[in-house]
Amino acid sequence: MMADRRRVNGPSGGTRPAVFASLAESGTGVSERAQRQRQPSELRKIFLKTGLIPTASGSSYLEFEPSASLAAARINPKSLIPPSSALKLACTVHGPKPLPRSAAFSPNLVLTTHVKYAPFAARKRRGHIRDASERDLGVHLETALRGAIIAERWPKSGLDITITILEAEDDRWWADAPDSHDASWGMMNVLAGCITAASAAIADAHIDCLDLVAGGVAALVSDEEKQSSAAPKLMLDADPAEHRSIVSACVVAYMPARDEITELWLKGDSSKASLENGDKRSVHEALLDGAVDAARGAHTVLAEAVRESLLKTVG
Amino acid sequence: MATPAANAAPSVSPSLSLPPSQFARLQPHAYLLAHLSPPPASNQPSIRANGRAPSQFRVTSANAGSLTHTNGSAVVRIGDTTAVCGVRAEILHTDDIASWSVSSSSTSNSNKRRRLGEKTTDEDEGQDENEEDRAHIEDLNLLVPNLSLSTGCAPGFTPGAPPSALAQSLSHQILSLLHSTRLIRADDLRIWYQPPNLGSEALERHNESQQMEIDAGQGSEESDPQEIKAFWVLYIDVMIISLAGNPFDAAWAAVLAALRDTKLPKAWWDIDNETIICSDDISEASRLSLRGLPVASSFCVFEADAAAGWRAVVIPDVNDQKAQNQRKKGPQQKWILADPDGYEEGLSQERATLVVDKAKNGKNVILKMEKHGGWSVDTEDLRQLVEISGQRWDEMKRILDQC
Repeated sequence: MMADRRRVNGPSGGTRPAVFASLAESGTGVSERAQRQRQPSELRKIFLKTGLIPTASGSSYLEFEPSASLAAARINPKSLIPPSSALKLACTVHGPKPLPRSAAFSPNLVLTTHVKYAPFAARKRRGHIRDASERDLGVHLETALRGAIIAERWPKSGLDITITILEAEDDRWWADAPDSHDASWGMMNVLAGCITAASAAIADAHIDCLDLVAGGVAALVSDEEKQSSAAPKLMLDADPAEHRSIVSACVVAYMPARDEITELWLKGDSSKASLENGDKRSVHEALLDGAVDAARGAHTVLAEAVRESLLKTVG
Repeated sequence: MATPAANAAPSVSPSLSLPPSQFARLQPHAYLLAHLSPPPASNQPSIRANGRAPSQFRVTSANAGSLTHTNGSAVVRIGDTTAVCGVRAEILHTDDIASWSVSSSSTSNSNKRRRLGEKTTDEDEGQDENEEDRAHIEDLNLLVPNLSLSTGCAPGFTPGAPPSALAQSLSHQILSLLHSTRLIRADDLRIWYQPPNLGSEALERHNESQQMEIDAGQGSEESDPQEIKAFWVLYIDVMIISLAGNPFDAAWAAVLAALRDTKLPKAWWDIDNETIICSDDISEASRLSLRGLPVASSFCVFEADAAAGWRAVVIPDVNDQKAQNQRKKGPQQKWILADPDGYEEGLSQERATLVVDKAKNGKNVILKMEKHGGWSVDTEDLRQLVEISGQRWDEMKRILDQC
């Protein structure tokens, strides 16, 4: 591969991430999987603040509360391997601004979304150029927001939304080997955070919206050793690092005032799974309801942050 | 925004029906000039449009170690400019270095000597160590700083685009400053391997030769030749989250704070797996021992009439150098503004960046001095800037020590 001459490149031979002894000699029981301390329907606390970046027309910063194990590791550090991670991201909105002369006429606001992980955001070092998963997140985010913005009020204008992820969610517990029903589950939590943060930033930029759109995640998790022994449990805002395996997960972008979903992303095979006794809903329905509940929870934080930002501009 | 409005009101409002914020946009140069040179009658001090005195820096805060997946991280806010820096350490095996076999044999001996020497005289660093640090850190690219502006930090930078000229220049400035200040010791980045004893006879023979080379008194555990098996490579990534002028000072402060926070795990060569294994025990991890605390301070020069100097050159009847100098030194034709914000940066051509450290005796040590874009800052001014940078150093040291 050609070296990128516009950046400072490391050694040409390439470098390897550190291999830790506790991982190499497995079974020593140095560390245990973090346990979920929350109730199944309890969300992590969200820190959301708008207007931190004055050069942008709107901005927000979002942070998830660190899990109990991570908080403990921060206070009393023992190992260099963090037990889990907590989402941290910054979102900026630039615009509405005139489209470049070369652009074709558009009767609506043209929305552009960029999601980029910082190189140090995840356990594995990220590249500087956006990869496919980052572009994918951008497209999902655009769909989620397009349904909320009243785009026809800004003809011939563009709106740039940029999200920088400073710390991402884990896809699995760090010591678990990647296996067959393993997907990038962390991405779904990241997307939910992106939607909520972008919504706050858009409100901060005073762009007209139908409602504040909030993101929520629900997942079917199984913490049992064997897959088939017990029915998977429905968890809202599941942290993949805290569960043995995730069967299926769902993200929604939801507007409570209109009871409308602008984006729905369901991943994993949930056809074979069945819910615990007494629940007559199909698995998909349960996941969807769970995700909507999570989004409602995020919406209360979002509304509070927007109210704060409004008071700041008025007062 | 409230402060400039309050300041502007007495000086400019009688003749204008525009609010100060509009005037600032329409006539930025006149607006700043009106603040810096208030009419003598008004009895106001000369103050910048943002309410600061010319040599005053913005409020600075730093916070280290908040990012989970880094070896060291820091957030530095200077006014509204925010820089996040994360340091990630990865391993470069000497097998992966194409030119290694040539250099390793020649350096292993002197490495050894220096390692022993360091223990006795920590302060007195020899010339060969400098040379060797340079050889390893610079030639093997062990420090990889990259700065990103495509974070939506300011309207001008398109996200997703390749790094802009400014971003490339800032990355390079950080790299060259890391190299020229020799902030990081190559010894912190080396991972050694000590082969097991090869029998007593070989050991004895080796001991003798070693004793002649170095002064005696070292323990016998040092007697075996150690070899470098790998290096730590530090990926230093700076994300400018918010850009409101003076990105270099913020980026450098973030790099410095992150490096001070960086912990490298204990690593060793595992002969069975033929690879480097690290310990995740935090008590075995070591911090980098940085050389000094270089602090960057940037300045910009605001000129009342930027064309005056050029006119004197272009129009030939002003040949007299002295007259020209006299004019340049005239009362308050230029102001040197410390830590310029975005508005002031847009109004000035001439920039100066100083990086200073303080020696033990409290004297300023200039590590870098850069001045470009004009000629109105002279030697006397630079001397003054060094003083201001020295005061800034005290302030930054206090902030960095707290974080």
